Amino acid sequence: MKGEKALSIGLIFIFFWLLISAQSNLPKFSSPALITSAGQNAEVQMVAVLAKRAGIDHNLNKLATAQDLAGFKSLLLVLGASMKGLGAAGLDLNKEMERIRGLLDGAKEKNIPILCLHLGGEERRGAQSDEFIRACLPAARMVIVVKSGNKDGLFTRLCQEKGIPLIEIDRTTEALEPLKNAFTL
Amino acid sequence: MSKLRAEHFKFFSFLAIIGLISACRTAAIKVTPPPADRHIPYEYVGRKTMVVAAHPLAVEAGLKILKEGGNAIDGAVATACALNVAEPFASGIGGGGFMIIYLARENRVTVINFREKAPSAFYAEIFIEKGEEAPTWRTVKGTAVGVPGALAGWDLALRRYGTKQLAQVMQPAIDLAERGFKISETFSSINKEEYEKILTNAGEKTVYLNNGLPYEPGDDFRNPELARTLRLIAQKGIDVFYKGEIASKIVKAVREKEGLMTLEDLASYRAVEVEPLRGQYRGAEIFTIPPPGSGLHLIQLLNIASFWPISQWGLNSAHYLHHLTEAMRLVFADREAYLGDPDYVQVPVEKLLSPDSARLKANLIRSNGVLMEYLPEEIKEKTEAGNTTHLCVIDDKGNAVALTQSINHFFGSGIIPEGTGFILNNQLDDFASTSSGPNAPGPGRRPASSMAPLFLFQEGKLRLILGSPGGTRIFPCLAEIIINIIDFGLSLDEAIEAPRFFSYSQNGRIRPLSLEPRFPQATIKELEALGHKITIREAYDKYFGGAQGILIDDKRGLILGGADSRRDGFGRGY
Repeated sequence: MKGEKALSIGLIFIFFWLLISAQSNLPKFSSPALITSAGQNAEVQMVAVLAKRAGIDHNLNKLATAQDLAGFKSLLLVLGASMKGLGAAGLDLNKEMERIRGLLDGAKEKNIPILCLHLGGEERRGAQSDEFIRACLPAARMVIVVKSGNKDGLFTRLCQEKGIPLIEIDRTTEALEPLKNAFTL
Repeated sequence: MSKLRAEHFKFFSFLAIIGLISACRTAAIKVTPPPADRHIPYEYVGRKTMVVAAHPLAVEAGLKILKEGGNAIDGAVATACALNVAEPFASGIGGGGFMIIYLARENRVTVINFREKAPSAFYAEIFIEKGEEAPTWRTVKGTAVGVPGALAGWDLALRRYGTKQLAQVMQPAIDLAERGFKISETFSSINKEEYEKILTNAGEKTVYLNNGLPYEPGDDFRNPELARTLRLIAQKGIDVFYKGEIASKIVKAVREKEGLMTLEDLASYRAVEVEPLRGQYRGAEIFTIPPPGSGLHLIQLLNIASFWPISQWGLNSAHYLHHLTEAMRLVFADREAYLGDPDYVQVPVEKLLSPDSARLKANLIRSNGVLMEYLPEEIKEKTEAGNTTHLCVIDDKGNAVALTQSINHFFGSGIIPEGTGFILNNQLDDFASTSSGPNAPGPGRRPASSMAPLFLFQEGKLRLILGSPGGTRIFPCLAEIIINIIDFGLSLDEAIEAPRFFSYSQNGRIRPLSLEPRFPQATIKELEALGHKITIREAYDKYFGGAQGILIDDKRGLILGGADSRRDGFGRGY
C-alpha cells in the first residue's frame, strides 16, 4: 500500500516535472520587441495592447522594414491580410510581401528571433492571408494561433515540418499568458 | 330532428372546412426554418406584415410595435432605434439617413431626408488646409462629424405619418440595451477591424471593447449608457438631444477632437420631407430618394441597362458583367460631376434621367473591351468600408417604409460623447476632396450620399421594397438585385445572395472590377481579356453591402422577406 502511494506521488512529480520542463523548453524572447503585421491586419494593434499588458518593452511599426530592426531583440509578426488595412496603408499585396520578405531576411541576418501570431481566427484566412502565413511561419521560433484560424491544420502542418512550437488558444485575450511566458527568462 | 341534425352537420362541416383552410393557410406560412448555412437563399414569409433588417433583435423590436397596432412608420422607427443598440457600429442617433414611405390609403410616396449636415463654421478648404494626405481629418477627428439627423428624421416621420409616440417605439431598444445580447461573428469581426479607431477615440474602457480588447463571438454585450440616453430622450423628447444636456456632450466631444460643431448647429438641425424621384425599368415604376442621395444614379444605371437584352446574355455571363460594369463607370463620372446638396447646387436630374442620356451611354460601351476614358471626370478614390444599414417594413394596411441610415464608416468617427453610449458619425468624409464643385465641403451642406432606398411598383401595385448599405457600392448593387429579379427571374433572396460585382471610374480613368469569387472562372478570365483589372473579394463580402428587401407576391397572397447573409440580415412577418 505504501509502495503504491509512493509510486503515485512519484508519477505526479514526474508529470509536473515534464510539464515544467516542456514549458521551459519553449523558446525565450528578449525585449525590446518590434511589432508589425504581415498583411496590414487590425490584430497588430491588439498584440501591441497585449504586449503592454505583459510588460514587454515594444514598439509598434505597421510599416517596419529591415532597417527598423536595429536595436530590437525580438520581432513579433502578426499574420493575416486585410484589404482595408492594405488600402489604408497605400499598399498592395505584392508591396506588402516585399516588405515582409525584407524584414524576414533582416531578422535572419541580425539573428533576431521571430514570434508569429495569428489572432484573426477563421475570418483572417483565405488565399491572401495564407500567402503571408506560408512565407513567415518557417522563419518563426514560436507560433501562437487562435484555434478557429487553424481548423484546417495549416499551422499545425507548417510547424511540425519545421519543429516549431505551436501554442493554440481559444480567444485573443488568451495570447497574454504565452506572450508573458515567452518574454520571462 | 333528422333535418336539424343535417343542418348541424352542414354547419359544422362548413366550420371544419373553414378551419381546415385557415389551418392550411397558417401552415403554409410556417415554412421550414432558415438553413444552417446562412448563405443559402431563404425567404421569410408573412401574409400581412414583414420586417427585415440587419439584426434579428431589431426585427423583433419592429414586429412588436406592429403587433401592438403600430403602422409601418412606427415599426420602421422602432427597428431603426433597436439597430442603434444591436448593430451600433453601423447606424444610430449619432448619424443620419433617408426614409422612403408609401402611404397605402393615399397611394402616395414621400421621402424624409435626415442626412447629417456640416456645421456652420465648416468651409470649402477645410480638408485641404488640414492636409488631405492625412485622412484622419475626414474620418476620425471632430472635423469628420456632421450634425446628426437620425432622431429628427424619426421624429418627423412619426409626427406626420406614425400612430405612436417616439417614447413608445423607442422602448424595445431601451429594453434591449439594458438586457444585452450575445455578440455575433459579424459584430466581432467589425469590432476587431475597427479596433485601433475605437481604442484611439473611445479608450480601453469603452463599452464597445471588452476589457480593452475586441469582443469575441458569443460574448455578452450590454450598453447601459445608451439605455440611459435613449430613456432620457423618450422622457424629454428630441430637444434634449438637439438643445439640452446631450447636445452639450456632443459639442464637447467633437470640439475636444478639433471639430467645429456648436450648440447652434445642433439646435438648428431640421429633417425635411421631400418629393421622391421616379424612374422606369422594363415597365416597372421605381420610386427612390432624390439628391443628395444616389437614387438618381440607380435609375441612370437601370435606364442604360434597359437598352440591353440582359436576360439573353445570361446570369453571371461576362457579357452582362462587362456591360453593367462599364455603365457603372460612366454613371460614377456623372455622380462626381453633378451630385451635391440640392439646397446649394443645381443637380441636373431631368437631363441625367433622360432617355437620350441613357442611350448615349449605352452606345458608348463597347462589347469587345473597356473604354479609354470615362467622362465627366474627377472621382477621388476612397477606402470606404461596407457600412450603414438598411431596413424595410410593411404593415397590414399596405403602408411601407424603406429606411437606410448610417454613421458612415463602421464605428463612425469612433467618438462617443461622454456617458452617452452612442457613436458619432464621420459622414463629412463624403464631401469631395476639392474646394469647388457640387459636393465641396460647405457650411450647413449635406454631403452627397450613395444611399438609394426604393420602392418598385408593377401594374400600379407595390411589389418590391429594397435598400442596402455599402458605401459607393449601394446603388450599383441595388441595380444588380433589381436586374436579378426582373431580367433573370431570381427569387428575392436568390437575387440578394447572388454574387456581386462593382467598379467605378476616377478622373476619367478605369478602376478595378471587384468581384465575389463565386462567379465562374471562365467569366473572370473573359473579363480580364476584355481589359478589366480584377480584384477578388471574399465570397460574401460586406464590402458589397447588406441588402434587405420585401417582395409582395399578390398571386400567392404572400409577403416575402429577403435578408442579406453578408451581414446578420433577418426577417419576420405574420
